[in-house]
This record gives sequence, structure tokens and C-alpha cells, in this order.
Amino acid sequence: MPKLTGTERVFKAVRRQEPDVVPTFEMDIHIDVIQAIKPGLDYVEFCDYMDLDAVVYFDQKSLKWEMLDEAKGVARSEWGNISRFSGAGQFIPVLREPVIKSEKDLDNYVPPDPDLPFRYTAIEEGVKRFKGKRAVIAVVLDPFRILAMYLRGEVELFKDMIRNPDMVERMSEIARDYALRYVKNCIDIGVDIIWNAGDYAITQSPFVSPEFTKRFLIPGLKRIVDYCHSRGVPCLEHTDGNIRPILDLMVDTGIDALHPIDPIAGMDIGEVKAEYGDRICLMGNIECGELLSWGSKEDVRQAVKECIRKAGKGGGHICMSSNSIHGAVNPENYVEMVKAIRDYGKYPILI
Amino acid sequence: MVNLVGLVNSVAKGDVPTAVELTGKALDAQMPAKEILDKGLVPAMDIVGSQFDKSEIFLPELLMAGDAMKAALELLKPELSKGGEGSYIGKYVIGTVEGDVHDIGKNIVAMMLEGGGWEVTDLGIDIAPKEFCEAVEKGNFDIIGIGAYVTLSMPKIAETMQALKDAGLRDRVKIMVGGVPVNQTYADQIGADAYGETAVDAVIKAKGLIRT
Repeated sequence: MPKLTGTERVFKAVRRQEPDVVPTFEMDIHIDVIQAIKPGLDYVEFCDYMDLDAVVYFDQKSLKWEMLDEAKGVARSEWGNISRFSGAGQFIPVLREPVIKSEKDLDNYVPPDPDLPFRYTAIEEGVKRFKGKRAVIAVVLDPFRILAMYLRGEVELFKDMIRNPDMVERMSEIARDYALRYVKNCIDIGVDIIWNAGDYAITQSPFVSPEFTKRFLIPGLKRIVDYCHSRGVPCLEHTDGNIRPILDLMVDTGIDALHPIDPIAGMDIGEVKAEYGDRICLMGNIECGELLSWGSKEDVRQAVKECIRKAGKGGGHICMSSNSIHGAVNPENYVEMVKAIRDYGKYPILI
Repeated sequence: MVNLVGLVNSVAKGDVPTAVELTGKALDAQMPAKEILDKGLVPAMDIVGSQFDKSEIFLPELLMAGDAMKAALELLKPELSKGGEGSYIGKYVIGTVEGDVHDIGKNIVAMMLEGGGWEVTDLGIDIAPKEFCEAVEKGNFDIIGIGAYVTLSMPKIAETMQALKDAGLRDRVKIMVGGVPVNQTYADQIGADAYGETAVDAVIKAKGLIRT
């Protein structure tokens, strides 16, 4: 097979066909890892340097934060919530004060404007630079996560599901409208693929029961998937954790791919491939906690080989870390992982 | 004789008003707070902990049960805080290590410990080794629980333990560790007294530690 572009490779995988080689890219790559591998490059330049098959733009980076306490990393987002950013190089804002403290706060609540042009500057540049060469992917924060991270906070949100389900529906509508508009704007600009950042589970189990997942989480995902498909754009889904009990519900929304088949949570990519491989492409699941941080290069190579052996055959596999290349990942291990994917991932796969 | 079955059920189901009403009735009937805790709240939290571990219930139901337990516990606190035999099992201080801002896992452990009869002090998230040391120095705690919820912050557990040793506080308190990336091997390596794999496991191990 002639050498494909990154875009072609990713599209083939997402359509569950065999490309020339198993594609690879990441949801996020920590700047410290980039600097250790090639000093001076930013993330976009690094995608070129590593010849990654897709460039991923995260919508959280398109949100403005007003710093309230620089020393403590406390800031207010456009949603109105106050959150704290960790000092350990994590970019996940952890909620300290939600904007919706009671149902009546919803009456006059005005969400951020998804149409503001500044949110899309990086994506526009990405489309210009990479279109046709590498897949341009926009990550959208799942409506449920908007509620959990900005509007209401996960603890109160979970309790609202029991004590005030109507309030959850009202908040969900606000978040769904925003997320859908964001997706529309990204597609209008020309992104190739939408990636919904869900996070529906902890290591042990889904956050909420299958019944609540169906009622409160799935409708937002389904709307995004349906809209993407109406525009001819694939929709990938991300969620860490043990999603076994809700996997059917998620796959039934029509998602094109699932990431990262979390190995720490006991998710086996071979089992998921056997059960769902004819309906979705599988992304992941090279363990990024212990293995990529502290494992040996040989351990990494073996894990890649095993992952491709289980999930690569017949296509429909994108091999990547089990979450992201975070700051504790050993840069040499990341380089080894990419190298091993290209060594073992050539089609037809014979391992 | 007050029957606490209704209290157990109301807490396990997360029914806050009924849990408060039945706790009030038990106190009015002169039942000792410690007995209400041991026979009402502890069994209720055992039930929800076990249901949660088996994925029979999920976070919403667990959190509502926690609310019911806390509301009932508020009524018992004046008597439990007096000390002596009718008091808590012991004093437990818990926190998430420096640089780690994850709190839901730690909150569940704290909640289950409270429901298990411990007086819990929750230091919160992103707690520096120095802050853990200060808490141990001032608090007269039986156990300190140190949690890390991402791989990146796991080395901070060992750093916190070293700080406790350096400050001469290591032998004053038992040390438990936990969190998603932590396992028994790591706990053994760094010399922790116990590792809590889940919230329920943490409650069992904590009880075991003060019996040794």
C-alpha cells in the first residue's frame, strides 16, 4: 500500500478499515515532554516533528479565565465558576465554587457566547496548516462535564440526579446548546473530526447507574454524534474508567471511535475489539501511569506489540496512550512508543 | 428499647429527613450516641459501601447516603465529642498530597470513615508535607491517610512520609496510603502501615491498625 497522509490514515482507522500503518496521536502532550524531546518546539510544531497523524485542539484552552489569586492558581472562568489549577503541571481546573448554587440561579443565568471568534483562532490556523496532511481534531467538552466542571460541580450534580432531576435537565440544555454550537463552529471552520471529552466513569465503575447514564449523560452525547454525522464528520468519544456496564449505551449513540479503553480500570482492548470492533474504532490503551512513566523501553515496546496484536488486525485501531502524555511520562518512553507503533503496526499485521 | 432498623434503612437509602427524625427519637429515648452510631450509622455505611463496591449503587446514591449519615451524625456529635468509652473509635486525619487537586475519592474515604465511627479531620486537597506534619503535631491523631489520585503526584506520598520522619513524628501516628495509582507494593516500598484499596477497605484497615 502506498504511504498515506496522516489524515487518510486516521480516516481509514475511524472507518474500521486497514490503513498502511496503525495511526498515532495524543489528546494532549505535556510541554515538559515536548521540551525534553525537542527543545524549543510548541505542541503544533511537535506534531510535525514526530509526524503524528492528527493535531488535536482542546476546547478548554479556548475558554478565558480571570486570575483571582496567582499564587494559589485560583481563577474564574467565563461560565462564572471559580476553580483552582494544580501547581504540578496539570491543566485540569478543579472546581471550588460552582456558578449554579441553587435552582433559582438558573433563572437569570447567561452562559458564555460560543460564537466569539477568539475561541477558534488556533483551530483556524491548524486547519490552514494541516488540512489534508494530518487530521485536524477538535475536542469538545461533553455537556455533562460542563455541568460537573463549571456549572454545578460533580458532587451536587450527582445528588441533583436523585433529588431534583428537572434541574439537571435544565442545566443540561444550557451545556448542550453551548457544546453543539461549538461543534458547529469547528466544523464550519473545517476540522476533520470531533472528539467528545466525556469522562463518565471512575476506575471502579461508571459515575452513575446505567439508568441515570441513559437519562442524563447519553442525550448530550447523542446530539453531538447526530449533528456531526449530519455534517459528514466522525465523532470520537473519550472516557476513562470502567465503562463496561454502560458500553452498550455509549456505542448505541453511533460514536465512531472510543478512547482510551482504560487498562487501569480493567478494560481489555481485546475483549472490546471482539465485542464492538465491527461498530467502533478503538483508541488507546498504552498505560500512561506506571508503564510510560517508569517502565523500561522494552516494556513499552512489548505493551505496544500486545495492544496492536489484540486490536490492530482488520483496521479500526489508533494506538496511543491510555489518557495523555502527561508531565510524568518519561520522554524516551513516549518516543519508543511511537517508534514501536510504526514498527509493529504495519498492515497487514502479522504479530 | 429503640429499634434502629429504620435508621439503618433511611441512611442507606439516603433519606435525610427520616434519618434525622429517627436519630432524634433514639436520643430522646436516652439511647447513648455511641450505640446509635454503632448500631445505626455504621451498619448503614457498611451496606452502602458493600453495594458501591459491587456496583449495585453508584456515586449519586452513595453521596445521598453520606448526606443522611452526616445529618444524623451532627445530632450525635455533642455526646461523641465528650471522649471516653462512649466516643469515636479514634481520630483520623486525611488529605490529598501537594500538587494533586482531586478530591472526590478522598471525600468518599472520609465519608466512609465518619460513617465507620471515626472522628475525621479533612485537610483537603493539595496539602504540602509541612501541612501534614503540622496537623499531626497539633492534632493527636491515631491515623493519617495520605492520598494521591494521579501518577504524577504519587511520589509526594513518600515525600510526605519522609517529612514526618524528619520532624520526628513518624512513630506518633499510623500511616495509611491510597488513591488510584497507589498499590500494596508501593505502600510496602515506602513503609506505610496500611494501604486502602477502596473506601470500604480503608475503613477495615483503619480498624485493624488501632487493634494492633
